[in-house]
Amino acid sequence: MTTAGEEAAAAGEELEPLFDYKRVQPTINFRFDDSDLEKADIFKHCNKRPRVDAAATATEEEGKPDEKAATVKVVDVDEEDWLLPPPPKAAFKPSAEEDSALRELRLKRQELAKLTESAHDILQDLDATAKTEVVSKEQPEQIIIDDESEPQVEKAREKIVISIQDKNAQQQIRVYKDEKFDKLLKVYAKKAKLNPSDLVFVFDGEKINLSSTPEDLDLEDDDLIEVRHKRH
Amino acid sequence: MSGGIARGRLAEERKAWRKNHPHGFVAKPETLPDGTVNLMTWHCTIPGKQGTDWEGGYFPLTLHFSEDYPSKPPKCKFPQGFFHPNVYPSGTVCLSILNEDSGWRPAITVKQILVGIQDLLDQPNPADPAQTDGYHLFIQDPTEYKRRVRLQAKQYPALV
Repeated sequence: MTTAGEEAAAAGEELEPLFDYKRVQPTINFRFDDSDLEKADIFKHCNKRPRVDAAATATEEEGKPDEKAATVKVVDVDEEDWLLPPPPKAAFKPSAEEDSALRELRLKRQELAKLTESAHDILQDLDATAKTEVVSKEQPEQIIIDDESEPQVEKAREKIVISIQDKNAQQQIRVYKDEKFDKLLKVYAKKAKLNPSDLVFVFDGEKINLSSTPEDLDLEDDDLIEVRHKRH
Repeated sequence: MSGGIARGRLAEERKAWRKNHPHGFVAKPETLPDGTVNLMTWHCTIPGKQGTDWEGGYFPLTLHFSEDYPSKPPKCKFPQGFFHPNVYPSGTVCLSILNEDSGWRPAITVKQILVGIQDLLDQPNPADPAQTDGYHLFIQDPTEYKRRVRLQAKQYPALV
């Protein structure tokens, strides 16, 4: 059998470790810190607000060691302990009205915090889905040409090695898949000390349009293109 | 069915060709009007060898593979009426390595076939004639033969 006083005392004792949850708090703060959402504001409030509140709780408990109050308070604290900071040494006694108003505000704040958190989660989810979508889209991209649904920004520029074969020589050049042959021809002509306007690139017996790209022709690594010299 | 074997081999041949082939040659499976690729028929180009009367010509050749390829060789055809002692009036090339009963071996590649035919152009085999026109001129009138060969080379200029 326990008396009201004992229960209250027990409740008080239980409260001590609850207040020690400050060890947990940094985790929560950290989470806000981690998010990009107006962290500064939330952070401030979380630190400031409960200090006053806890003061009220502590003083109230001391003031009325009444069984009901104790039970109620235990419940309260239980629900809100996550945001409670270490017990303060505040000396003032807030009125009951102020206390409930503050509590309401605190609940609101908690709600908002939760919202922020869930918003953050949603954003992360969206981010993840967007990424997977991009990945799943990129694979067919290598096969299907002219797929314009893909946002260009997300795509890393792919390079392939192609062989350029002239009558007597062959050399390999690494090129961007989406770079026009125009540039490749100029680079090649400069290297070979030839006039680019005298040269034609040929793939599979067909003249390569200089405004097309390796990707347009479905070129793969190590594919061979030929150089032919225009006759005058 | 051995069709899978033929197509598998031809896909490999095409892959190898894309990565390396002699200059001026073309060999690609035909693309049907609906955009699909038919590996069993290839459209090729054989350039006339430099320094010969065939130089400057880019001769179209079609390879027809059967489901029995590579056990059996492909049928290789120039355009109808192609001037050469060892080419039938239909355009079919008569060459030992393309004969199932003599020189063909399954290991012979598309590249070897095309290079072999390029060699044949300037080195006809009088022991195995396939058309009268080309054969007779080659044997009896080398000057006229030369003229006809050069004329034909001009008829098939480079497309590029």
